[in-house]
Amino acid sequence: MGDIAGLVGKRLGLGLIILLVISVIIFFMVELLPGDIAQAVLGQGATEENLAALRKEMGLDQPAIVRYLGWLKDAVVFDFGSSVVTQEPVTSIIGERFAKTLFLAAYAAVIAVPVSIVLGVLVALMRNSIFDRVANVLTLTSISSPEFFLGYILILYFAVKWGMFPAIASLSEGMSFVELLNRAFLPALTLVLVVVAHMMRMTRASIINLLASPYIEMARLKGAPPLKVIVRHALPNAWAPIINVVALNLAYLITGVVLVEVVFVYPGIGQALVDAVSKRDFPVVQACCLIFAATFILLNLAADVGAILTNPRLRHPK
Amino acid sequence: MSEKNVLLKIRGLKIQGYSDETWVDIIKGVDLTLHRGEVMGLIGESGAGKSTIGAGAMGYARDGTRISEGSIEFDGMELTTASESEKRALRGARIAYVAQSAAASFNPAHKIIDQHTEAPLQYRLKKRMEAQEDAIDLYNRLRLPNPEEIGFRYPHQVSGGQLQRAMTAMAMSCRPDLIIFDEPTTALDVTTQIEVLAAIRDIVEQFNTAALYITHDLAVVAQMADTIKVLLKGNEVEEAPTEEMLSNPKEDYTKSLWAVRSFESPQRYRPKDSTPLIAVKNVDAAYTGGPKILDDVSFDIYEGMTVAVVGESGSGKSTTARVITGLLPQSKGDVLFKGEPFPPDYRNRNKDQLRQSQMIYQMADTALNPKVKISEIIGRPAQFYSGLTGVELKNRVDELLDLIELDPSLYYNRYPPELSGGQKQRIGIARALAANPTFIVCDEVTSALDQLVAEGILRLLDRLQNELNLAYMFITHDLATVRSIADEVIVMQQGKVVEQGPKDDMFTPPHHPYTDLLLSSVPEMDPNWLTTLLEERGVDNVGDAASAKITDS
Amino acid sequence: MELTTSQFVIGYYTFLLGVSCFGAYTNKRQVFMLAFSLTLVSFVLGIVGGAAALKAIAICAGMLAIAGMISFGFREFLIQIAEGDFGAGIRNSGSSSVVTLILVAACIVSGVMGWGFTEILIAITILFVVITSLNPETAKELRTAPLTAAFGMFVIFTYAVAGIFAPWIAPFGEAEVISSAFAPPDENMLLGADQLGRDMFSRIVYGSRNSVGLAITATVAAFILGAGAGLLAATKGGWFDQFMGRFADVIMSIPSLIFALLMLSIFGPTTPVIICAVAIIYAPRVFRLTRAVAGNVVVMDYIEAAKLRGEGMWYLIRREILPNSTAPLVAEFGLEFCFVFLLVAGLSFLGLGIQPPTADWGSMVRENATLISFGDITPLIPAAAIALLTVAVNFVVDWMLFRSSGLKEQ
Repeated sequence: MGDIAGLVGKRLGLGLIILLVISVIIFFMVELLPGDIAQAVLGQGATEENLAALRKEMGLDQPAIVRYLGWLKDAVVFDFGSSVVTQEPVTSIIGERFAKTLFLAAYAAVIAVPVSIVLGVLVALMRNSIFDRVANVLTLTSISSPEFFLGYILILYFAVKWGMFPAIASLSEGMSFVELLNRAFLPALTLVLVVVAHMMRMTRASIINLLASPYIEMARLKGAPPLKVIVRHALPNAWAPIINVVALNLAYLITGVVLVEVVFVYPGIGQALVDAVSKRDFPVVQACCLIFAATFILLNLAADVGAILTNPRLRHPK
Repeated sequence: MSEKNVLLKIRGLKIQGYSDETWVDIIKGVDLTLHRGEVMGLIGESGAGKSTIGAGAMGYARDGTRISEGSIEFDGMELTTASESEKRALRGARIAYVAQSAAASFNPAHKIIDQHTEAPLQYRLKKRMEAQEDAIDLYNRLRLPNPEEIGFRYPHQVSGGQLQRAMTAMAMSCRPDLIIFDEPTTALDVTTQIEVLAAIRDIVEQFNTAALYITHDLAVVAQMADTIKVLLKGNEVEEAPTEEMLSNPKEDYTKSLWAVRSFESPQRYRPKDSTPLIAVKNVDAAYTGGPKILDDVSFDIYEGMTVAVVGESGSGKSTTARVITGLLPQSKGDVLFKGEPFPPDYRNRNKDQLRQSQMIYQMADTALNPKVKISEIIGRPAQFYSGLTGVELKNRVDELLDLIELDPSLYYNRYPPELSGGQKQRIGIARALAANPTFIVCDEVTSALDQLVAEGILRLLDRLQNELNLAYMFITHDLATVRSIADEVIVMQQGKVVEQGPKDDMFTPPHHPYTDLLLSSVPEMDPNWLTTLLEERGVDNVGDAASAKITDS
Repeated sequence: MELTTSQFVIGYYTFLLGVSCFGAYTNKRQVFMLAFSLTLVSFVLGIVGGAAALKAIAICAGMLAIAGMISFGFREFLIQIAEGDFGAGIRNSGSSSVVTLILVAACIVSGVMGWGFTEILIAITILFVVITSLNPETAKELRTAPLTAAFGMFVIFTYAVAGIFAPWIAPFGEAEVISSAFAPPDENMLLGADQLGRDMFSRIVYGSRNSVGLAITATVAAFILGAGAGLLAATKGGWFDQFMGRFADVIMSIPSLIFALLMLSIFGPTTPVIICAVAIIYAPRVFRLTRAVAGNVVVMDYIEAAKLRGEGMWYLIRREILPNSTAPLVAEFGLEFCFVFLLVAGLSFLGLGIQPPTADWGSMVRENATLISFGDITPLIPAAAIALLTVAVNFVVDWMLFRSSGLKEQ
């Protein structure tokens, strides 16, 4: 078992290093700003005194590396400073929104993951049939459509024409869980449509790849019935690819959420990021980017660790 | 052998494969009759369709193939019209299958014994405990080490030769009437192959099981089969009992298969008082961060002579070639060319040094750039080293094509994928010659070729050697090739030179024990070879067991 | 003759069941499966949605059939041209790559200098490349192309014509205000007016030049960076390879949209910044693929033979590696184009793409989005234009990938 622990440890360490490098990129990219942050915040018309005051307040008189270390130290405990536009602490702006984004992503994932894996396995088993081809065309169409296209179509039909769900996903305190689900249904469905298409294609590819293994043919030639071939011989080896597919798409969900939130005016972290970008509110932009990147890395990490843990060759070392 | 005893009867079998959007016949009407307890060898080159027939005998068509015509009758039951579940009930229980690569055909997720007992449990032939006891009994009979315990390991924890025997045991688990062996020893080294062959033959005899033994190796099939059927491109060539087939083949194609080992170049001896062309002195080598692959290797190659380097996979023969060509710089020792040291890394060698030593590769498919015309493949070295251009270059390419016996006007503008395997190998030779070398490394140049074609290449190389006074370093695992072309032989084992000397000496005893083991392990055409060998050495003195003893001593 | 609802419904089911029976009778399994499952789906939808749902299905099926016919026709058209082999002369003279280079250079010079005939030069260049690459060999491959791929090629062709000849096709200028805001379609304006009273149709046509042009430029930039680095890394190996691989890993672990937003917020949403940002984001993906493809080529013995001959790196890349990696790289170009196109459209939709008044599909969706709540489909048209092109490219790429992977899937 020492082998596995070593591999997992190595992978975790690598993830940590990548995260660190990314924090460096995010922090120092703002340093590339023509002029500096104070200039960007106050605009061209600012007086020297105002600029100097703001620079002092933001600690811009210190060297960049010192500011980076300070920023990183605070970021570890989720303190990202305060907004340069509203002066509010960044954490209070994005904290609640992040929870709502997670809710939306989880909502979509709960529907998308089982549906797409089952469908993916089915089309893999029926490969080259007419259904497989139709599914191929449909999924290709779905992944080729921008999220806002799908979103507006859903709004047009489900909200405007048929009035089944609200078009604007405004959430407020004290809503019942069912009400929340109802309000967030259309944004979640948009995400589901895109993610299911991706996951189905990936699941199909990995299952077909697996079914081509010699040991699957051996199982068939031993007279194992089709169901047994799938359950006993294919499935134990399919975990790694399936975990990989799920994690990759969850990572996609987390970021694909930005456009969907804008379409449905959903009060999540994606909205906050887009607002901050247009207002050039850099502490908020940095915080959002770091959170998105960290989630992304974490999910990729989970996929790799999952693949290591379910690999029979590694589970039973020589 | 009466009609009553017929177990498998195939008549007019046609199997089609799907390629380029159409169905093409790969098996073009084959008949086959197999009696109970009979072992039939199916032999043919790659693409002859032997493996497809093997699967077809179970009523099984691989993905992308289909049985289009003919009948397959197993013990009175017609398989082409049988339902999927009827066929399934036969598989594993009455017809079993042993695949070429045991490592890939065992499911990595389950223990060996659990895969072994799967079929008996499914058919409710035995209880789990009984099935496990039976498995251990079979492991014992197949002479697997630690039979009590080996089944409880996972496939990747067991070596290739042992896995292949475990797979044979698995095929035996329901005591089937027929086993299909699909090239079961092709992926194994000669010394390991022997014990697997012995084990398979033994167990098939013990249970009087009928078998279809599929292979491309004539000598192997001679040991195993009662009758031999020769296939060529999906058609049957001829069928006869083994003894008769070996002594008295009827068809020209079969005769050509048997005849190939006749070529033998005369033995040359080292010229006196001259410096060797290539001298390898006390060379050690290792890949970055890896263990030592070569350990104190020394030998000489003289001008105009052929040195064959033999050994099993992992013995370091290819690594030696990489050190000489400079692809893998040695960690210790020297490589001298005409007495002058060669820079270890090829990047530090000058054009003339690079020109002197050339290489011919095993796989002609990967050795020639498929997107470049023959004229450029051969022309580039001539242009690069000698600066030839225009008409001069064209004349040189024509001359080279003539040398390798290909018509320049036909091949000048063609691309490698349009050529056959033998033609490609000839182009590879021409590319090496284009540099005007004095020394050529031939890395398993004939092992990917069909035997007749291989013979042609060997004759060509021998002729070129005489005309151009070339020195060859011939890397091979095939002793027949050594016998036909070598002047001197070097035997390697685990990165060390075990023995070296002129060919005549090497094929007459006494030998170093490893050379002896290697030589004696190479199957011969004589159908009694395996029996005789086992009688001489005893079952415990062949294969891995024997080589372990040598390594220990 | 006016069809009553009941006549339509009866006719609808009769037709489907008839096709199913025909399929079953002639043993055409796929026809039967398709028609019969469509019948079953229609039963359910018919009960839920009534005759209107059935009519919608019939219309969809009709549109699919028309698309199928157009694709079939276009494929036959291409096959005819390919068999005619008009480019044979140029190809055999071996001057095609030189001529292509000259034409591309002329396009760039003309575009930069603002000569009036850039459009025509570009059209000639594309025609030249297409004609020289269509030969009897491609005709054979085109025959095996599925209708989806032919449909994709047709759509790409249409977009190319619209984009190149936009000023001739569009009835109005892209920034020309000609009526009141959100005016409905009339005989002047095929699709009505946008929020400022500009002609929607003209803006869509111009959008095919601006949006697609930007995406292509950005993809080309990403390819030059990524493929260049990938080929170098595969050929050189060693620490350079290691370093580039790690570097690509880091860039790729920042989600693309987020990274783009970060860069645009800092440097401002101008066209050069968008191109650079997209190139930086997608170059690592191209790098990885090129590295993998070239990595498979580099281990071939012919590369070893060339290295041992003493060939330089430039020769290795140009003569030995590139010719053996073009097929997957072309497919990858299509795939990357789709990603880039969707990313740029997303940025435009967020107001961070090409800035007004230049017509751009993503921003057109955003500007007209309010119309959706009145049940007007205007904002969906530019969005559909984006989706259609991406689908088309994906269809073609899907076929190319399938072809290059051979029948491995079977």
